[in-house]
Amino acid sequence: MTRVVEVPASFDDKSFDQFAQSFASGDPAQRALFDARGAQWASPYGLVGMLTAGQVLKEQRRERPLFTVPSSDDVRRYWARTGFFRYAAEFFEIHGKVPRTKVEDDADYLLPVTPVRASEDVHAVVGAIQERAARMLTGELGLEAKATIGFAMALSEACQNIVEHAGTGGWVAVHAYTFRKRLGRRVVVIAVSDGGVGFSHSLESTQARRFGDRWGDAAALEAAVIQGVSRFRDPGRGQGLAGIKRYLTRWNGKLSIRSGTARIAIVPPWDDDVPMSEDLPFFPGSQLQVVIPAQTEIDG
Amino acid sequence: MILTIMVERVLRETVQVPYRDLVTRSTGAAVRTGIERAIAEGGCATTLLDFSEVGLLDFSCADEVVAKLLLRTQTEDDRYVVLSGLREEHFEAIDHVLNHHQIAVLAKVEAEAAPRALGRLAPELQDALAAAQQLETGDAESLADAIGWTVEHAADALQSLALLRLLCADQGHFRRIPLT
Repeated sequence: MTRVVEVPASFDDKSFDQFAQSFASGDPAQRALFDARGAQWASPYGLVGMLTAGQVLKEQRRERPLFTVPSSDDVRRYWARTGFFRYAAEFFEIHGKVPRTKVEDDADYLLPVTPVRASEDVHAVVGAIQERAARMLTGELGLEAKATIGFAMALSEACQNIVEHAGTGGWVAVHAYTFRKRLGRRVVVIAVSDGGVGFSHSLESTQARRFGDRWGDAAALEAAVIQGVSRFRDPGRGQGLAGIKRYLTRWNGKLSIRSGTARIAIVPPWDDDVPMSEDLPFFPGSQLQVVIPAQTEIDG
Repeated sequence: MILTIMVERVLRETVQVPYRDLVTRSTGAAVRTGIERAIAEGGCATTLLDFSEVGLLDFSCADEVVAKLLLRTQTEDDRYVVLSGLREEHFEAIDHVLNHHQIAVLAKVEAEAAPRALGRLAPELQDALAAAQQLETGDAESLADAIGWTVEHAADALQSLALLRLLCADQGHFRRIPLT
């Protein structure tokens, strides 16, 4: 018997809960089949989310899940060029034709799907992205040159959360695309995902008592993102997320972090997301997304 | 005597990555350890940390390299740390982490006569520091004269600046941190 995990046709942070619901349903002992045949598009958030699901099943020593590739040639080619299939093959038994495309430079993504397991990976990610980020942020998004540095800092801090807190490896990808429905502008999106312990478990020993009955995924996200606390007693900790928030405030960007069954967002005026969502379908670890929009005259 | 430490060189020697970026806490901790070792071996009162060859500096690394180094040297008499070769984005990261710890440091900036304070420094302490740097040496009385404060007020400010290691102070007298 297999249980089917539906990959949304348009897979981004909005449809992630649908994916998480499908992933969490059914008997976990049954072999999973990730059905991406109907996929038309996936944001970096969707791509790293699928790899996280595969990694979680592997770490749980479940039977190697099946993965049916998108029916669309274009979608398959795009996913191949982002590096998704290169890593998916580690976790899934892939069914369908995967294009033999090189993971190549492309105007639409700044960083292909990249594993983050250790500090050296963060160095490599930051080292690889700076020149391309400068071209994209200043040339295409109209941000000032100094935005590039802040962008690389935000990326570094986001990736470090995996190394410091997840207890396992994770994934990062950075793409640019047009937010047609929500914004009507080009955006750069950083997506970072891991299948590790999540915020609640990470902070439980130092924060749970303070929150009492309220303790859970939402309270843990609130403690980390709003109050800047960390599981470490070192008073210098917690500055990474604070730095990301500061950068996004300046460039009118959005931060959202999902962990377990909750999701917190620092919402800019151009978006109508809610600051906190609770009782979501459970998904392991943490998923972070940063969105930086093209600047307009209104943004200054 | 002044010890100049090229931070990028310490990065290359301690972490052995082919990048000039100071990112991640573990990298920062390793670099700080290298700097602390060099300071201990150098035996100089003033250490100039030169960031001119450093690429990106993220918040976590700024916290490990600069904030923690300052917090440790604050407990040692007659040890001063001054930064140099900073770019605008370095200023931002360092200022952010020092504010978090409520500490400050002096940074030499090209084309500025006196070093600039980064981090948490109340406006009136900034005024006192600027006046004291202009006087170069003196005591509470000369500082009070220079900025029109009472001697007690000036003495309090000098004590705070000395505790933050932004001025050298000894038996009621102060002097600028020697940088040459």
